[in-house]
Amino acid sequence: MTEQTADKKTDKNRKPSFEETLKKLEEASEKLKEETVSLEDAIKYYEKGITYYKECSEILEEANQKIETLTR
Amino acid sequence: MGLKPIKVSQLNSYIKRILQTDPILGNVSVIGEVSNLKFHGSGHVYFSLKDESSKINCFLAAGNLAKLTCDLQEGMEITANGYIYLYERGGSYSLNVRDIEAAGQGDLAIAFEKLKKKLDAEGMFDPAHKKDLPAFPKKIAVVTSETGAAVRDILKIIKKKNDYVDILIYPVLVQGPNAAGEISAAIDDLNENHRDVDVIITGRGGGSMEELWAFNEEIVARSIYSSRIPVISAVGHETDFTIADFVADLRAETPTAAAERAVPDTGQLREYLDSAAEQMKRDLKRLVDNRRQQLRLSDPEQFRRDIQGRIVLEQLRIDNMRSAMEENLKGMMTGYKARLSILKEFLDTADPKSILAKGYSVVTDEKGAIVKDAGALKVGQKINIEAARGQAEGQITRIQKGEKR
Repeated sequence: MTEQTADKKTDKNRKPSFEETLKKLEEASEKLKEETVSLEDAIKYYEKGITYYKECSEILEEANQKIETLTR
Repeated sequence: MGLKPIKVSQLNSYIKRILQTDPILGNVSVIGEVSNLKFHGSGHVYFSLKDESSKINCFLAAGNLAKLTCDLQEGMEITANGYIYLYERGGSYSLNVRDIEAAGQGDLAIAFEKLKKKLDAEGMFDPAHKKDLPAFPKKIAVVTSETGAAVRDILKIIKKKNDYVDILIYPVLVQGPNAAGEISAAIDDLNENHRDVDVIITGRGGGSMEELWAFNEEIVARSIYSSRIPVISAVGHETDFTIADFVADLRAETPTAAAERAVPDTGQLREYLDSAAEQMKRDLKRLVDNRRQQLRLSDPEQFRRDIQGRIVLEQLRIDNMRSAMEENLKGMMTGYKARLSILKEFLDTADPKSILAKGYSVVTDEKGAIVKDAGALKVGQKINIEAARGQAEGQITRIQKGEKR
């Protein structure tokens, strides 16, 4: 576990993963549902959420499965 | 020298005669471990007996199976009594078993239990050590036989479910003496030299306990345990449990199940994303509508309109009250008028003038008081007479007292 997080930190330049982006999308969507959210925040969450949605969709659009067999 | 060439069948027939007339081979008891046990539809049983270095095919006729006192099981250590029989057509021989005695569990089963206990004591099966599988893997490595059923099943499922993940097939032997070493080395190599791999599936299709044995070797268990990349074990069928299954981050019942568990359905993910975006749109719209409603309620113009509405209502209410009162009053007046006219009629009948009109006259004294008692008058006293028409004065000349009438 700790090893994994360390790996992520050293790999700072890489694009955020699909998982991370999807999680952010879900967070934004949850915050938008809160009854007490201010309109300004709601618009902010919405815009962020849509950005994450687009990022996730783009990752899936790029789907280009490669199947290779290692030669020994 | 030697005989002239003979036919294959002649040779086999000769060997058969030698084997079946040998006094030892005609009645022999053999100790070994049962493997490749197959109960044939005919009721006969086929299996092998083996030790560390050798094995022999065995045949147990249905009739003899029924007489056995123990349950025949894979991996079981037994003593089989029977005779050697040569199958002439195939040129193969086997032990034709008459009777079987169990001799404790097989060596492999004992080795399995021993290793399991040892690794468990080391904490290698600890759930706390198990890594989560990534929800969205980019690259999966499959450590198995390149030609086996497992790799075919895994590829089929992944390709159907997920068009994103890359698959690296890492070919290894999955049975035989070198299998465990290859599997272990492959897992180590993936961790060292293929850092983009984020899940490893290792396993093979179904087989006997010996065929699955590589996945019970300590070296494989250790590589799985120390793997930085999460490992899914997928060995044999649902009922097969190997040491690799206990130590793996996830034990899949079969290679097919491993593939199912390893990757998300990208089609479903796309749908999920779209529905999340739709949901956000709806939530924001609902929020804006709510705020708009609130704003409308606190708008002074709306307040004025509300007040005016109130005023109109109140006006209407007091107008209604007024007209109700008027109606009430009118009703009262009519009542009074009716009573008044009744009273007037009554008064009219009681008016003295109407009595005068009938011919009576009213006599009053000088003071204007009506004379009711003639005895109260005096002779010579002046009186006043009022008739229906006109008045006259007179003077009393005579008085006649009388009874009151």
